[in-house]
Amino acid sequence: MLIFTDFSENVFLNPIVKLYRQHFNKKSFENVYQISFCKNETLKIKHSACHFHVKIMVYYFPAIAGREFFSVSVKDLLALQYKGDRMGLTYLESVVLSILKRINGERTIYALLHLLQGKRSSQTIQDAHLYKLTPYFSTYPTVSRSRLEKMMESLKRGGLVEEIAEGKVLLTSRGEEKLRLHLAKCPLPEFLNGWKYHQVTESFWERLTLLVQVSSNLIHQERSYIPIRNKQETLSWVKQFIKQQSGDRYTLAERLYEELISALENSAIKPELVIIRLTGFKKIGLTLSQASEQIGMEPTHYHYEFLNCLHFMFNKILDVPSAYPLLDGLLNKAERLEPLTLSAKKTYKLLQLGYSADEVAAVRNLKQGTIEDHIVEIALIKTEFDIDYYVPASKQERILLAAQQISAKKLKQMKERVTDASYFEIRLVLAKYGDIEWN
Amino acid sequence: MELKQYLAKYFPFPDFRPGQHETIDAVIEKNHTISMLPTGTGKSLCYQLPGYILEGAVLVVSPLLSLMQDQVEQIMAMGEKRVIALNSFLSPQQKAFALLNLENYKYIFLSPEMLGMESVQDRLKRLSVALFVVDEAHCISQWGYDFRPDYLKLGEFRKKLGKPLTLALTATATEEVRKDIAEKLYLEEWKEVVYSVDRPAISLALERVASFREKLERTHELVNFFKGPGIIYFSSKKVAEQAASQLREKGTKKAMAYHGGLNSESRVLIQQQFINGQLDVVCATSAFGMGINKDNVRYVIHFHMPMQLESYLQEIGRAARDGLDSIAILLYSPGDEQLAYQLAEAELPDQYQVERLFGVLMEQQIPYDGLSQRAEELSMVCGFTEIQWRIIMEYLSNLESQNYLADSETLMQLVENRIAVKKQQIRTMLDWIQTPGCKREFILESFNEELANKPANCCSSCGINREHYKETKSSIEQEETVMDWKHDLASILLISERIE
Ligand SMILES: [Zn+2]
Repeated sequence: MLIFTDFSENVFLNPIVKLYRQHFNKKSFENVYQISFCKNETLKIKHSACHFHVKIMVYYFPAIAGREFFSVSVKDLLALQYKGDRMGLTYLESVVLSILKRINGERTIYALLHLLQGKRSSQTIQDAHLYKLTPYFSTYPTVSRSRLEKMMESLKRGGLVEEIAEGKVLLTSRGEEKLRLHLAKCPLPEFLNGWKYHQVTESFWERLTLLVQVSSNLIHQERSYIPIRNKQETLSWVKQFIKQQSGDRYTLAERLYEELISALENSAIKPELVIIRLTGFKKIGLTLSQASEQIGMEPTHYHYEFLNCLHFMFNKILDVPSAYPLLDGLLNKAERLEPLTLSAKKTYKLLQLGYSADEVAAVRNLKQGTIEDHIVEIALIKTEFDIDYYVPASKQERILLAAQQISAKKLKQMKERVTDASYFEIRLVLAKYGDIEWN
Repeated sequence: MELKQYLAKYFPFPDFRPGQHETIDAVIEKNHTISMLPTGTGKSLCYQLPGYILEGAVLVVSPLLSLMQDQVEQIMAMGEKRVIALNSFLSPQQKAFALLNLENYKYIFLSPEMLGMESVQDRLKRLSVALFVVDEAHCISQWGYDFRPDYLKLGEFRKKLGKPLTLALTATATEEVRKDIAEKLYLEEWKEVVYSVDRPAISLALERVASFREKLERTHELVNFFKGPGIIYFSSKKVAEQAASQLREKGTKKAMAYHGGLNSESRVLIQQQFINGQLDVVCATSAFGMGINKDNVRYVIHFHMPMQLESYLQEIGRAARDGLDSIAILLYSPGDEQLAYQLAEAELPDQYQVERLFGVLMEQQIPYDGLSQRAEELSMVCGFTEIQWRIIMEYLSNLESQNYLADSETLMQLVENRIAVKKQQIRTMLDWIQTPGCKREFILESFNEELANKPANCCSSCGINREHYKETKSSIEQEETVMDWKHDLASILLISERIE
């Protein structure tokens, strides 16, 4: 069985298709094939055979994708290529298009960049809530500006988006259709919750991988091995954590095993994505790129499905922490789950001491607008924060009413409806009730 | 107690390797010692063992953070817990705690930058130091192949400590460099333990290919032909990736790329997979291999030519640590030296960048001790890479007084000298490539040694029987991997009796 995988991002200019031979000793295939379309559109085949059975996993051949076995000739492949059609979407493109669809041309693509990178600014945090994009917050910290810009160019050229103003784009009907088709086959991860978990995901994973490695070596009586984590902080944390556990090494490993099985067992996720990354006694886990290659997913797709598994597991742990004493320990002792920016946190402390917004601005030597940004951020994050002091209840109702009537959440239009409300008041009300009242 | 008994008591090694015994003897008899042992002879044993004999702490200065981390981990893996690395990986709290409890550690690793801090210096002065170790000591010499300006501070630091017993370790240093090491460290008298740079178990081969493409194809052929595991060295991350993915695609070998562009999780995993035998070959940049303990590397291929004979020796030295026959092949295609020249120049700032920097410094009257705060801004304005900036910072912040005009000239002078040295080193490497004579003899001559015994498969000039290095086992069929995550997890966390 052969698998298509790992496509370069620019489908038009550099469509290199690689055929991987997965099951090595299946007799029906004598050799490894490599087919590549080069820039000058010539086709190179590393073997004389012209027909292969292929399992189409990917993305650029929507016409034949999803069919387990398919006999495809070189001619067919060429035909697909020559249609001049942009063939499909990469996984990251589907994420980006889904987000752009929500934003609806009201923010630039850089707002999207900051969202994926998890920029800790009031603007980004508010946008994440306003457009219900909190699941994606900080889910791709390493994505670069230039990569996103290049992708936008490619999407524009393919007629999937159109630019309506500098940096602001809308999906074309063609783009909507492509996205719909893509999502039908390959839906976005349903348990992803970047906003809630972005501060714990990494440290949890670092600790878990190390704890598993240490436990596994402990039960095999192996003392001489090199830890797969080299951050001093993680090393001392896990060491301390193991000391605190009651029971012997065998109990620890068994309990860890049982908790992981219970937290990951669910048909809605793919636990193997997590397990193949784990390191144990004389068995070193796979890197992200190795794992994605073995599973047969694009690296970005793998990354999101992997996060999806972790976040699913976090939900399960936090639902019944007492059932997962070890995993809950790895999760809980990490940074707090409610992230206010440092500056907003200072403002919040002063507000709690009874200072007014003006006084806070004076004390902290900051602009009024900055303090207002902080208050909006606090309202987003601290559900117990009371905004009646800043916006009278009757005005809140009128703002919410206007919000329901105006589908595109444009502040300007809302202000035209509720003339006596300031932008700050509107933003604050939306921040407080936005997620509940809008649908 | 005999040294051998110490070895048996504290270490998992059956015997000393060449040079270890002599070095340790010299040290415990309280001689300052410069020890040149070939890569892979376990230099760290030379200070670890004396640590159990001498009273007081062993201070080890090491140039690379990653190397330091590896050494600390290896010592810990042997069961010695009184070891710590003072470097920028520590948080301020951790650092403060470590400094407070320094007496509790036997082995203290330090980066040169830490030594520059007065608080650290003062603390160390109050410590009883049994042995001061300078690892990769050739870094102190301008003539060494890997000169690091911040190593120059070590001499002054050693004086401040009251000139404790000192051990300088290196794998490759000519006589000139060794003299320079002694001088820069203010050693008045010292013993030298010098072992030949020759590695008779490694056969030295040079192959000429016509083009880049041919080189890729040849690499693939060699990887399939030779008995593994092996390492292929590249000067470019991109090419390393390309070659690794090609080797994987063609499907016969398990190959991965390793370079500084990977995140730390991937780097550790790939390194460990290689050591654990899960990979056949690693396509690496020079970042790979320092501090890796793997005995059975059977071949090292150089896809690009190294920048100096010394780094070539270091890199091929990762093969044959178990003493069994291995082979090193350098692939050369005409014009390869151009890449080396370019890389050498790119490491150093050019005249235009230096002028621009001093223009800004003068205009805004920035003092040298204020440079580090403006690193990002100045690097951007002048277009410095990280390495270029490090060289400039180290030079300027070590100056006693400040005179923009004169300093910019001496800095340029330094840069030109460095480029001249590097170019000379590349030319020597090229001479080695082009010599029709014995490759081994050439290397030994440049270290003022003589070749006493020619091994059987000496070099490509003398003749090599390649069959000797051929993979004899037929490639093992990959087992059908049925993925069952529960079973996989059980095999990690449950002992075998519990897995049904
Ligand atoms: Zn020879």
